[in-house]
Parts: sequence; C-alpha cells; structure tokens
Amino acid sequence: MKAMVCRAWGDPDTLRLDEVDRPPLNPDQVRLRIHACGVNFADTLIVAGKYQVKPAFPFTPGFEAAGEIIEIGEAVTQIRPHLHRGQRVFAYMRRGGGYAEEAVVNAAALVPIPEAMDWATAGGFPIAYSTSHYALVHRARLQAGETLLVLGAAGGVGLSAIEIGKQLGARVIAAAGGPEKLAVAQAHGADELIDYQHESIRDRVRELTDGRGADVVYDPVGGDAFDQALRAVNWGARMLIIGFAAGRIQAVPANLVLVKGISIVGVDRGAESQRNPGLIAEGFTELLRWWEAGRLKPVVGKTFPLAEAGAAMEALLSRRYPGKIVVEV
Amino acid sequence: MKAMLCREWGEPGILRLGELDRRPLQPHEARIRVHAAGVNFADSLMVAGKYQVKPAFPFIPGLEAAGEIIELGAAVRHLKPGQRVLAVLRNGGGYAEEIALNAEAVVPIPDGMDFVTAASFPVAYGTAHFALTHRGHLQPGETLLVLGAAGGVGLTAVEIGKQLGARVIAAAGSADKLAVARAHGADELIDYRQESIRDRVRELTAGRGADVVFDPVGGDAFDQALRAVNWEARMLVIGFAAGQIQAVPANLILVKNISVIGVVWGAQAERDPVLVSRNLAELLRWWETGRLKPEVARSFPLAEAGAALEALLSRRYAGKIVLEA
Repeated sequence: MKAMVCRAWGDPDTLRLDEVDRPPLNPDQVRLRIHACGVNFADTLIVAGKYQVKPAFPFTPGFEAAGEIIEIGEAVTQIRPHLHRGQRVFAYMRRGGGYAEEAVVNAAALVPIPEAMDWATAGGFPIAYSTSHYALVHRARLQAGETLLVLGAAGGVGLSAIEIGKQLGARVIAAAGGPEKLAVAQAHGADELIDYQHESIRDRVRELTDGRGADVVYDPVGGDAFDQALRAVNWGARMLIIGFAAGRIQAVPANLVLVKGISIVGVDRGAESQRNPGLIAEGFTELLRWWEAGRLKPVVGKTFPLAEAGAAMEALLSRRYPGKIVVEV
Repeated sequence: MKAMLCREWGEPGILRLGELDRRPLQPHEARIRVHAAGVNFADSLMVAGKYQVKPAFPFIPGLEAAGEIIELGAAVRHLKPGQRVLAVLRNGGGYAEEIALNAEAVVPIPDGMDFVTAASFPVAYGTAHFALTHRGHLQPGETLLVLGAAGGVGLTAVEIGKQLGARVIAAAGSADKLAVARAHGADELIDYRQESIRDRVRELTAGRGADVVFDPVGGDAFDQALRAVNWEARMLVIGFAAGQIQAVPANLILVKNISVIGVVWGAQAERDPVLVSRNLAELLRWWETGRLKPEVARSFPLAEAGAALEALLSRRYAGKIVLEA
C-alpha cells in the first residue's frame, strides 16, 4: 500500500510517498481503507520532532481518518459486535498512520458515521469537534448565558468551538485575523467579531461585555493573543489552553491568575481519549446527533491528494484557509 | 478608641498607634470590642500599597477579629450585647480596640473558643476550605501537596485535606516546622531546604505526582511542584509569601491536562457572603468536635502590630500571629 513516510525530522516537505508493507492486524483491531485524513497542527510537530511523542523512523503521520472497514480482527466481535466489513467509520488514531491508503485501528476507537456525511468532512471531524466538546463541556463547564471568547476562531478547532459554544447556549465572541475569516466565523454562529489585525482583543472584549470580560476563553493560538485575552476576563473565568498555533508559548503570570480568581486549564484531548475513552465516545454520540440535526456545519477549507500531504501541512501552517485541511486518498 | 493607623504606604514599622473618635452606628450595624485580631500576609501588602484594595488614608489594617458585642443598631435582631463573636473584615479595621460593621458579617463563636483562637480562625480556615473544596474539588484518596505547610494558612490546608480524606504531603523549610505539620496530621514530610520537592513527591506517589497542590508560597516552590503533578492535577495559587511571582509555562499546563487556579477567598466572601458564612459555621462545628486544632504561634499587643507583621514576614513561626487588644 502507499503511504506518506517520514524518515527524518524536518519541515512538511520531508514527507515522501512510498510503497510500504501492510501493517499486521491485531485481534482487537480492524483494517480501514482510508478515504480521507484530517491535517492537524500536531502532524507538523511530530514531523519536526517537536511533539511529546517521537516515533521511530520510518513512520506515517496522521491522527484522524475516515474510511471503510475491510478486515476485522478475530476478537473484535466481543468488543464491538456491530462492526462489519464495508462499514463507514472515522477514528482518532493516537499513534498516527492516517496519511496512507490503509491503516489498522483499535476497534474501540472507531465511530460509525452517518450515511450523509462525505469522506472529507468525516476525515476532518474527530479531532476538532471532540477537542472543542471535551474542552467546553468537561474542562470549562461552559454554562448557558456565559460569554465565550474563541481565539483563532476561523481555524478548524476554532470554528468547532464557536458552533459548540452556541449549542451550549453561550454568547460567542470570535477573534481572528482578517475580514474573510471573520465572515466564516459569523456564518458559523459567532455573535460578535474581533479582527485582531486591527483591533485590541482586550479593549473590544471589555466593550462587548460592559467591562466584565469573557467567562471562558478558548485558545488554540497562544502567544500575544492569550496575553491580551488574559486582561479581558471576568471574575472566575476559565482559560482553555488548546495549543500554540502562533508559535510562541506564553508564560502565565500567577498574580493575574490569583487576583481575578481565574483558572488556566490545559486541554490534551488525545491523552484523555486514552485515559477515559468512554467520555470521548459519549462526546461523539452527541456531536453526530447535532450534525445529523444540521446544527454543526464542518468546513473543509481545502483538500489535497495523498502525495501532496506536505503541501497540505504547509497550507495549515500558513493559516490562510478557514476550517479544516484534509488529505484525500 | 485606640487603633493602629496607616497614613502612608510603607513597611510594617510605619503603623502608629492613634486615638480615633467612635463613629455613630447605622441601624444594621454592630459594634465590637475587639479582643484579638489575626495578622495576615495581605495586611502587609495593604500597608505597602500593593494590595488589590487600596484604602484611603488614614486606615486601619486587619482582615479578621474577635471580641464581644457592645452595641447594636436598631434593626439588628439576631445578635445580643455581650455576645462573643468573630468577623471577617474585607476592608480592614481589625487592628483596633473597637470596630463597627455590618451585623450580617458577624459570626458567633463557640463557648470554649478563646478570642485569640477565634481571631486566627476565619481567614486561614476559610481560605483553605474554599480552595480545597470549591476550587480544587479535592476527593478522598487523592494526594494533596501543601507548600508552606507550617504557615498559618498551610496548617489549615493540612487539617482540612485530612478531613476531606486526602493523603497529605507537607512541604516546609525546617525540621521544626515539619514537626508541627506532622502534629496537625500530615502523612508525609518534605524539607525543601534539604530535599527536592519534585523528586520527593514523585517518590512518595510512585511517580504519579500530586493531584492537588495548595500553594501560598509561590516562586521556586511552585515551579518544582509543577513538575511533580499528576494528570489533571489542580494547582491552587493562594499567594506569594516567598516574594517572587512565578510565570507558568502554558505548554506544561497543556500536556498534563492540569488547571492552575487562582483563589481569592476575600473576594469570594464579598460576592457570595451566604456561602462563606455557611462554610465558616461548618468549620466552627468541626472545631467544636475537635477535628481542627488552630495553631497560634505568637501574640503581640496591639501597639506592636508592626513587629507582629515583621514576625509573619520572617516566616520563622509555625501557625498564626495574633494581636491582642
């Protein structure tokens, strides 16, 4: 089978399309014919050797994929009796391997997808939506009527946070760089918009909340945007650390945390899915119900063929496209 | 009446004993003859002009006091003259012979509790209880690491952690202090002048790390503790007694799914006085049944409030410092 292979730490273009052996199937696994694989910021980190996990070479990146089941391990009938060959599923793949024609995945991690969901949408769905759901529901306990500030609001995870924030009854302020991105954020339900190329996040959030500040901040961007948001939060606010897409890892002054009685909350959804798979699975049930009811509108900003996975990762890093970047196989 | 007055920002020695007129009592107020006032780190910040609340000069510091009621406003029904009470004073006023305040903020004290103990009680126990239950959600069987464990607020965190069913690791800066922490229920001890907090906590938890960290110290101690926490730990930021304010690297917060949580009990008392009064009443019941053992390290006469504050800042004493008026 064909796969994009990483043989040395480096930029996205170090990935090469290669013919590799099919991975062996463990009894509790299924083999997928992959049709689409979502591109994530963590993929660029793992290829650069900067991720918390450093796989042995050669390896294939890709933490999420959608496809159909082509082979079922012998123990799977006990774990997931309703899985069958030909079934359409998506999966979060903790060990990577999504940038390939086929992958073996633990049966427990598979989620059957609705008939009407196309492959590209499904391939880009699991990580963004389950990260935002886990962060807002379980880590921040976002309440109806609270104000949610979403940074990097037009990115894949940012858009999903806007939509989920609205489903939970929050007022959503979207912050992003440029009017095109903000138009996408608005189309996904944002109540208020901040263009941080032209406006101060801090001043605008205060204006929009009568000086109180945001109750929950969802931050996949980090750096300066976080520092500004820290000065525009309400008493008792929860600030969710999702990632550092801006490239600078901020240090949080503990006195500001203290005087406003706020919480800085780390969100590592990938690790949570390993420790508490039931919680993440319940999240998918709710998310797919919302999707089927038309209440979530996943955006695929651009797709690339498998051989151009490097270009797909560059496109993500450029932060030019709204929503998800997806590799089609 | 006499009171310790602050007329300009400065060191504790700037406080002066002065004579003030009594102000008339409002209908909803009570006047207390203060017998003892607790000394807190925040008092030194308030006198230095570094506290979030900056009162107008001249002002009287002191965030907690105990005494007896000597006068009641016409609208107050639930208290009586002569009653023994304690009070939390959000805007100060405790370093005085008398104080007039909203009667809603006055809490009767148990018969067996002396004034010095009562004056040392609400801020430390209130803070530790609020932090560990409402902010840290400490669960039975979890491991609680208390930094500055022999200080006034640290010892209360050790006791409340034990009451909540946690295993408590106490970290403090000398063998004498640790002996006090042990006497108040700590299961494990770390002397951070001699040992690495990070290495010892990992050893004591089979590599997992602490589930909740209670930190009134800040600085290096926090930085070490940050590297000795379990998955989904809650790190409670109570204060910066070490004098250095740490900056927390956000990537460490992310990869361990932890929360760094600011705790301001005083502000909570203002926003939700009912919750705070209910919790104080519960803590006083715990005291009556012998489950809490307040530790008063030393008391000073009112006129020596500056020396009392210096004693607190020196971090030489285990337990609370109290003024007697």
